[in-house]
Amino acid sequence: MRTFFIYLAILVVGILFFTSMVLFAIPALQESTLVLPGIAQGESGSGDGTVNQASLEKDISKLQAKLDKLTPADAYIIINTSENHFYLYKGKQLIRKGLCSTGKNERLVSEERNKEYVFYTPQGVKTVKGKQKNPVWAKPNWAFIEEGLPIPPPGDPSRFESGTLGAYKLTLGDGYMIHGTIYKRFIGQSVTHGCVRLLDEDLEAVYNALQVGSKVYIY
Amino acid sequence: MKDHSDEGFDSLFEKKKSSGAKLFAILFFGIIIVSTSVYTYLSVGVVRDRMLVAKSQVEGAAPVDPSLIDLMKEKAWVESRLKMAAGDSVGLSIDLEQHTIQLELKGVVVMNSKIRDFSTSGFFKRMDGNVYFAIFGSPLTIQKFESSIEKNPFKVVIAPKNEAEAEAAVTKKDSIPDENVFWTVKLDRDFELNIQGIDSVAESQSKYKLGKGFEFKRNLKNIVNSFEHIVKFKKPTYTPEILISIPENEAKAILRALPRNASVTIRI
Repeated sequence: MRTFFIYLAILVVGILFFTSMVLFAIPALQESTLVLPGIAQGESGSGDGTVNQASLEKDISKLQAKLDKLTPADAYIIINTSENHFYLYKGKQLIRKGLCSTGKNERLVSEERNKEYVFYTPQGVKTVKGKQKNPVWAKPNWAFIEEGLPIPPPGDPSRFESGTLGAYKLTLGDGYMIHGTIYKRFIGQSVTHGCVRLLDEDLEAVYNALQVGSKVYIY
Repeated sequence: MKDHSDEGFDSLFEKKKSSGAKLFAILFFGIIIVSTSVYTYLSVGVVRDRMLVAKSQVEGAAPVDPSLIDLMKEKAWVESRLKMAAGDSVGLSIDLEQHTIQLELKGVVVMNSKIRDFSTSGFFKRMDGNVYFAIFGSPLTIQKFESSIEKNPFKVVIAPKNEAEAEAAVTKKDSIPDENVFWTVKLDRDFELNIQGIDSVAESQSKYKLGKGFEFKRNLKNIVNSFEHIVKFKKPTYTPEILISIPENEAKAILRALPRNASVTIRI
């Protein structure tokens, strides 16, 4: 028994030695300044003569101007789906910021497993395709499936709801919208089916600031 | 005069049986020390090789004028961000000079975070201008993601059979788990970018507190790999790293926003 523990102790000490070498000693040695003497000398000479300070500065300001032009001069909105925040900008100036709700990242599978609906807010650049006051929500099939209700035929009155989307909606294409909500307690959470929900006052400010064609940056 | 420490060690073993254990101990430590020493020597040499390879790739390029290097870096940085803006997806730009990390979408900065702390491998501190521009002169591409939290969590829900079942399943809010955000990406041009979420600068000093199980797994993988290299007489590898500490919520937001093979622009 004693011998067994001695062997075990030898093994453990050996493993600990190896581990500490791999995790600490070797990386430290690799990073040590002594390891690379003479490998990377600083540049010498004054270059190939084709670049000079003035031309570089000119190039940089040209490129910077090109980059700056990519930021819209008009109002645009940035949506952070991870933290459920929105930022309304005009040029580089922040006009308003606040909480929003975005997609819940959920896949709803119908009971018969033959239909699938994916609820998430797509990332990327969108444009405002349309604006509408007092919108009526035309409930899609998933809204009924999710509530365990039978799906009514298209155009059925039970498909239309007033007030659910708040006072305004801005359409982004592919069925996605920025709109209001009656579920205000969920603002700031990932609970939607992909649309972006805002509180009433924020929605009004966004509705007034953004025009058809305005950019919506979602990340 | 007899050495007392020797006597103490010998006394651990019973006469005949013990000589076997003693021999085993000597052999075992001998092998470990020799192989680890050789491995250490090769590991150090591999850094030199890596630098030499990097330099050989830019051989023949005109030397960079040291007085213009900052301007040239600035130009490369803006140029690289412009190239990244040509893509349709979110890109990451990291400016270690200004201590900022940004998410950019079509040239628009959609998120900006202050870097709280960072460290870079010696490789980056010693590269010359030409190697710098060969590595950071154009956007890099992410090749592999690893993270302590799920990158894109997705829940699958089976539709309720009826209204009663739907009501029973009323949105149950998941409790917010105590997450340690630590993620690492392998970039083309063969180096790693590690991002850790911290709530204070002091926290960034204790790397092992972060990522908990994730960091443990990474270390274990490292040990196993090294052991495998020794056993198979393979040359060790060296991957330069950049470690950046930013607020935890921002580390998480960036991880979730970046596509699998996003572009990354870096200025050191």
